[in-house]
Amino acid sequence: MRPEALKGHLDGILLAVLEPGPGHGYAIMEALRVRSGGQVDLPTGTVYPALHRLERAGLVQADWSEAGGRRRRVYQLTPAGRRALDTERVTWQDFSAAVSALLHPGPAPVTSP
Amino acid sequence: MNRLDAPVSAPGSLAGPAGERYLAEVTARLAGPISAHSGIVAELRCGLLDATDSHRSAGLPSAQAAEAAIREFGDPGQVADGFRAEIAARHARRVAVALLVTGPLVGLLWIATAAASHLALRLAALGPWTSLSGALGAGIRLVAVTAAITAWAALVGIATTGRLTRWLPARPRRPPTAAAVAGFGAVGADALGLALLAAELAAAPGRLSPVLAAVAAVASVTRLLFAMRAARRCLALRASLA
Repeated sequence: MRPEALKGHLDGILLAVLEPGPGHGYAIMEALRVRSGGQVDLPTGTVYPALHRLERAGLVQADWSEAGGRRRRVYQLTPAGRRALDTERVTWQDFSAAVSALLHPGPAPVTSP
Repeated sequence: MNRLDAPVSAPGSLAGPAGERYLAEVTARLAGPISAHSGIVAELRCGLLDATDSHRSAGLPSAQAAEAAIREFGDPGQVADGFRAEIAARHARRVAVALLVTGPLVGLLWIATAAASHLALRLAALGPWTSLSGALGAGIRLVAVTAAITAWAALVGIATTGRLTRWLPARPRRPPTAAAVAGFGAVGADALGLALLAAELAAAPGRLSPVLAAVAAVASVTRLLFAMRAARRCLALRASLA
């Protein structure tokens, strides 16, 4: 799936990946691949800048932490990020229901003569 | 274990010769000031090491695992391009905050200079400066207008790069544009302040407080030079987003 296809939903997807717990950049990229069954394989130049943007917006918090001699920048959801994720889920449900109705139309409505 | 809590298998800070060459290529293509690059490159280096670990865990020898990680991270130019808007926004925010903080400080130095000087300037600093007539009054009014434009543009720069971005439409060129306007506004305000000082010195050199005037002038020149450099860099970052 191309990144353009996810335009407008990238933030929600990244927030959802971080919902179970904190994660660093590469782990988030791997989680995107695994959770989408390999359908979503976003490039580095999309995921990392988007995480920085979410940090600036206060939706995630990023901290450097060291483990096993390697420093990593670990991201976690903020309370605002959890609220934004809830909103994104409602928006997506409405959007997908509307698009499904258009792509899979039922029988044409009966019109009076 | 949470999937995101990947285990660390190989301590170390360097991504190997191939990885470091790759990171150097990304760094060379990153836009903006060098100071904005170190955190990005450090984070990418960790990601590259984690990707190498992942491929090694999947059974690849070390050298091939490193090559696979580099392929996975993608073209260095595309990685660097992905950060353009973010670097521009962060730089614009730093410039806007710096101008908004230093503006009132430099302004207070000029007001103190005027307050310690002759009667007309004391009126300008403490009294109804809007009623001042002549070149001095016009100059002071122009400084006030320029300073107000600077403050407004800096506030726009800060607002469009912080928490409000949750609700604002994504317009990557707006923050560097606002910061550049603020920068050139600060250049204008400081240049006008210095010009008024020069005019006062030429007209009545003995009636100014020399110490305060010197301090205010040094502060204004310093801020002018910073603002000019920052504004030009913001314009370059804005152009890179076209």
